[in-house]
Amino acid sequence: MSMDNFGLYKLMHEDAPKNNNPLLEQPTLAKTHTTDPIVTGTSVLAIKFNGGVAIAADTLASYGSMARFRDIERLKSFGKYTIVGASGEYSDFQYIEEQVKQSLIDRDYQLDDGRSTTPREIYQYLVRVLYNRRNKFDPLYNVLVIAGYENGKAFLGQTDYLGTHFEDVTLATGYGSYIAQPILRKFYSEKNGNITEQEAKDILKKCLTVLFYRDARAADKVQIAVINDQGPKIDEPIKLETQWTFKGF
Amino acid sequence: MFRNQYDTDITTWSPAGRLHQVEYAMEAVKQGSACVGLKSNTLVVIGSLKRSPHAELSSYQKKLAKIDDHIGFGIAGLASDGRVLIKNARTQAINHKYTYDTPISVQRLVLQISDKSQVSTQRSSKRPYGVGLLISGYDEQTGTHLFQTEPSGNYYEYKAIAIGARSQSARTYFEKNYQTFEEADEETLILHALRALKGTTGDNVELTSKNASISIVGKDRKYKLIEEEQLEPYLAKLEENAAATTEQQPAEQQDDVDEEMVQ
Amino acid sequence: MSSNGTGYDLSVTTYSPDGRLFQIEYAQKAVENSGTVIGVACKDGVVLGVEKLIESKLMERNSNQRIFNVDYHVGIALAGWKPDTRQLVNKARKESQDYQSFYGTKIPAHVLTERVAMHVHQATMYWHLRPYGVCALISAYDEQGPQLFMVEPSGTSWGYHGCAVGKAKQAARTEIEKLKFTEMTTREAVKEVARIIHLVHDPVKDKDFELELSWVCDESKRVHQLVPKEVKEEAEQYAKEANKDDDDDDDEEDEDEELVDSGAQ
Repeated sequence: MSMDNFGLYKLMHEDAPKNNNPLLEQPTLAKTHTTDPIVTGTSVLAIKFNGGVAIAADTLASYGSMARFRDIERLKSFGKYTIVGASGEYSDFQYIEEQVKQSLIDRDYQLDDGRSTTPREIYQYLVRVLYNRRNKFDPLYNVLVIAGYENGKAFLGQTDYLGTHFEDVTLATGYGSYIAQPILRKFYSEKNGNITEQEAKDILKKCLTVLFYRDARAADKVQIAVINDQGPKIDEPIKLETQWTFKGF
Repeated sequence: MFRNQYDTDITTWSPAGRLHQVEYAMEAVKQGSACVGLKSNTLVVIGSLKRSPHAELSSYQKKLAKIDDHIGFGIAGLASDGRVLIKNARTQAINHKYTYDTPISVQRLVLQISDKSQVSTQRSSKRPYGVGLLISGYDEQTGTHLFQTEPSGNYYEYKAIAIGARSQSARTYFEKNYQTFEEADEETLILHALRALKGTTGDNVELTSKNASISIVGKDRKYKLIEEEQLEPYLAKLEENAAATTEQQPAEQQDDVDEEMVQ
Repeated sequence: MSSNGTGYDLSVTTYSPDGRLFQIEYAQKAVENSGTVIGVACKDGVVLGVEKLIESKLMERNSNQRIFNVDYHVGIALAGWKPDTRQLVNKARKESQDYQSFYGTKIPAHVLTERVAMHVHQATMYWHLRPYGVCALISAYDEQGPQLFMVEPSGTSWGYHGCAVGKAKQAARTEIEKLKFTEMTTREAVKEVARIIHLVHDPVKDKDFELELSWVCDESKRVHQLVPKEVKEEAEQYAKEANKDDDDDDDEEDEDEELVDSGAQ
């Protein structure tokens, strides 16, 4: 079977494996949603440091296994206090960005009442949206990392397309949850959580490099962003230094 | 006020550019027993005078409502209309908590309630809510707030305010004293509220722990309702202070309409 | 009111024999009872100014706002029946966001104006609604530069270089016409707008007032916002001094009936 991104093969082809359930005899009438991602981003990594949070991702959006869009941003600032990083379906992330901006960030500007949406509010809002969509069997196919710094407090949380959500001092999504998260956790506990901004950026860069070596969907062009009391700062993409001259190759 | 042909329909403008039905709805607020509110930098207090339709036989109609840990309502006017808005506000507060995991902003709640009220002044199938609200709230980012809403859909933010029957004397009292409220502590604010309420009771009615109640919201604390025996110590203090100083405000007279619906 | 409709003026869906819609005219009356609102378009931006009448000293300053942010490049100032204003602002915000979602670009000022005007017009078309008692001044800075529009209760809209509505609209218009705002910078215009509002305010008839000023200009990075505190203070200072000189010569008082309704202010 060729690539079946929408999972429609079974619904459209007569030679599809037959289902014996009589209720499914006319499968073409079944209402379906896209439940598989098409254009995807891979891992997002993040770690808290003294006075802020650092978050990183590469700039690749893959089409299946093809490195299709190689210069997109998977880290976006949501207002003055929050950065959200996304793995998974890139178009869903673009949709989410617009929704949050219009209903939360622009709203703060419009009302001009001295109140601004906090990172925790954005996190909880995203959790509710993603969980709600999952229950409609029409998920927004992302794992989102929400990093924020507001009123002297750092925030770092994650939610996936099922609505499963949690906070932690270090986070890694996708392949990174296997490869990078152990490195980050070890680093964090060795330092007793006492980490400078530079150290945080360095360890993220190291993890991205490790991921580039081992994750076939990762790229060596990456962005590292920091959120602290100065607000969000998303650096220009940098190229990772890699070494391929091992004998084994 | 005289009858005219422009005052029976909510969707009719008078030649002078007024909406008489809305103005009449605001009269209903003035018929309700008084609600007073005042705030400091950390606390907001609402006080209310309750009515009982049959002095000894019935209970007193409640006029203060908790919306959330950080928001309180006081109503004057048609109590049943008030309850509709209270229920709506509670729903909004709890939905906000569910969606954002933070307490709802009191300013934005007021905005939504007022927008809701405005809609019923622009449809011929509806009537304006006959209730005025005092809304007390504390907000992490912007501090204490005290709002007044009207049947028209207007809302105002105040340092101190009173609505309902004979509330003018309370406003006069506040105008004299409001400059000291900012730094005042809990007890002082409560006593100010009670003193303001006292001026609104009308002839032959005493302010008692039965007909008065107080609500407080503020920084690092949850909504608190003070009534019945909990109110006694404050009323006692009020007596003491009154004996010490002979301060008095002129209570302007107004017909005491004691309809059961209007609280 | 010089003439009234006697029976033809009770519903917005009834024409009078001479083809007038009295309910719309009455709604316009609510705007004329309002505190004065003015707007001017300049070389590099648009300024809105509002005479916000203060009813009680117990009221918090800055409460009861009359100028609103609609979108980053659009502001709106309103005169008239206060509760209606917010409804209109909500509508404008929604139209602006919908446009942005659909076309991916900022809504052009004239498109927004047209959509708001259509909405206002809708309220004049059905017996079960009443016309908005509101005039909206829309200031915007888009691809076509700084622009100013006004939407009236009838649902008509016009583009302006400068306009005024509310209690003292005649006096304010005369003042606006004396100056060439189109050749002025926003900085200079802010002062003049403050001066005009202070000038047309009638301290005898009306209560205390608070000046509300907004701009959308190059200096504000083409974002609509309330004029920064320092700029506003400077403008008010200028206004008070400029008006001191001609304080003596206009002291005549006309005795209109005072309208005490808290809706129109």
